[in-house]
Amino acid sequence: MRRLGLRARVTAAFAIGALLLSASMALVSYELTRRTLLNERERTVLRAAYYDAAVVRAGLNTENPDVAEALRALDTGTGRRPLVLLDGEWYARSADTGLTTIVPAQLQDLVSAGEPAVQRVRLNDSPVMLVGVPLSESTAFYEIASLRELEQTFQVLALALTAVAIMVAGSGAALGWYATRHGLRPLTAVADAAERIAAGDFTTRLAPDTDPDLNRLSTSFNRMVDELAGRIDRDRRFAADVSHELRSPLQTLAAAASVLSRRRENQDERTATAARLVADEIERFQQLVNDLLDLSRGDQPVHREPVDLPELARQACRDRDLPESMVQLAAGTPPSWRVDRRRVTQVLTNLLDNAERYGAGPIAVRLSHTADTGVIEVDDEGPGVPMEDREVIFDRFVRGRAANYRGGGDGTGLGLALVAQHAAAHGGDASVSDRPEGGARFRVTLPGSVS
Amino acid sequence: MTAVLVIEDDDRIRLALLLALEDEGYEARGAATAEEGLRTQRRDPADYVLVDLMLPGIDGFEGIRQLRRDDDVPIVVVSARDDTHDIVAALEAGADDYVVKPVAIKELTARLRALRRRGRAVTAPDGPEPVPVLAFGELEVSPEAGEVRRSGEPVAVTRTEFRLLCELAEHAGRVLSRQQLLSRVWGYDSGDERLVDVHVGRLRQKIEADPANPRHLVTLRGLGYKLQR
Repeated sequence: MRRLGLRARVTAAFAIGALLLSASMALVSYELTRRTLLNERERTVLRAAYYDAAVVRAGLNTENPDVAEALRALDTGTGRRPLVLLDGEWYARSADTGLTTIVPAQLQDLVSAGEPAVQRVRLNDSPVMLVGVPLSESTAFYEIASLRELEQTFQVLALALTAVAIMVAGSGAALGWYATRHGLRPLTAVADAAERIAAGDFTTRLAPDTDPDLNRLSTSFNRMVDELAGRIDRDRRFAADVSHELRSPLQTLAAAASVLSRRRENQDERTATAARLVADEIERFQQLVNDLLDLSRGDQPVHREPVDLPELARQACRDRDLPESMVQLAAGTPPSWRVDRRRVTQVLTNLLDNAERYGAGPIAVRLSHTADTGVIEVDDEGPGVPMEDREVIFDRFVRGRAANYRGGGDGTGLGLALVAQHAAAHGGDASVSDRPEGGARFRVTLPGSVS
Repeated sequence: MTAVLVIEDDDRIRLALLLALEDEGYEARGAATAEEGLRTQRRDPADYVLVDLMLPGIDGFEGIRQLRRDDDVPIVVVSARDDTHDIVAALEAGADDYVVKPVAIKELTARLRALRRRGRAVTAPDGPEPVPVLAFGELEVSPEAGEVRRSGEPVAVTRTEFRLLCELAEHAGRVLSRQQLLSRVWGYDSGDERLVDVHVGRLRQKIEADPANPRHLVTLRGLGYKLQR
């Protein structure tokens, strides 16, 4: 079973605590009220019974006592019903039949022993109070008083108290929910900040808390982010500095290599081969340094402007002696996209170079859009990219597997990493899938570029 | 023979560039500091100047500014620095183009050739053809004579500024995009549009009465530039 969250547990504890408290309060007050009301009622009933007993005694103290007459003379309303036990025989008013059996023997014993007694019993499923008053040795007066109204009062009271208890428990739960929300707010803020940082926004900081208990959390969190951002920044700056420092000696090498290649005819074959190797490697070295610098600058903001994408793609094809006709603009897609020209140029050239190098040459550059997202797809007829490589090929310094790979080691291993970075800078991504007719299809999305 | 002055403090880079440029048929001369470069240029002017930005003594920016004071020689910055800030500052100081190290010699000579193509047309002033003058209010541009006048007074512009102005004047009233200008004036298929923006800014300083609110050389947001009456 999944463990309940802190918040649910605190809320439940608050609710249970409030329920226990309010339930016991309700129980106590119910009991107290009930007892008080019953006592009062008992006194009233007793007083009435004594009075009625006195009337009946007077009625029976005649020459020819008539029990029925004496009972009839009582003014009891509907609430009280009198009974007389005379010489072991029960007398009741004619309207009140079937009452005689309810007087418990214990009560009869008490009364016949000369003690007035009170007992609560149930009569026809409604509560009554039974009062016995001895009139003489052989005569006893009983009165049955209905407690129905009192019972109803108790029911209403119980209902009200239960409702109050439930409400208090609910309020407890709400209080717990609110208190934990308040208490957990700093944690929510930390989680949000951590998510933003994980998404690459290193400017995120927690607002310094005024609460001294929470201040430590925000300060240490912010210090951690500062450290992290600083470390990443140092790494990036190191890559940029290294690339930068390599540029000046590379200038010497590039110029000297061009002098060497100019004199190729005067060189013997071995020297010429060595000179060509040097020149080629310097070129690759240059490309590597430029790609590294570009990567280290990847977090710079995109500079969006209207760019004629089909023309840019055709230009990229022309630069590589590829037919311009492979650039296809989907019907309904506008040619002008709002993108960063430098970055998208690099996306196109790197994807074309990649197709050339590992994919047996590009066969189509397709430009389309969905909603405001521009989509660039470059298709090739190569062996495709195995499933397990589809994520990693966008990492740095990952090249096609040896088997897929033609043209010697002339790539920098950074081309697709740059493609992914430029796509991400636009808020999009880069991916690769199978082209339905065979080969690979590289796809770059550029949200917000088509209006 | 076309002469190129290379102002570069790194001895090896300078030597390699001189060797390579000589191979490409230029008469190459070197200077290790901006001061030396300025002296050399004053004594024996070269047709192009390549200049590094990080130099001992006077730095590249100031060197360009001083060169520009009395010379419209095309200046190309060759620097390892490629921050926007540096590029814009160098262009504003008066450089015509900016390339980032390491630049292939073929690319460098292509840039120089493009600069020559856009150099001021040298036609005999007493030629048979009447010199067409393109007038924009008080501003007059004569592409053939290589002259710009404002209210009759000659305005000193560099070769690149002049080519840019001519390009806009020949398409008077029409918008030219930054890419079109890059390709026509600098010979780039695709390049850094800041090159255009900074040159337009410099040109406005010279031909507009109020450069902040240009009347003739106007910007059309997102489209490009236009020269109008």
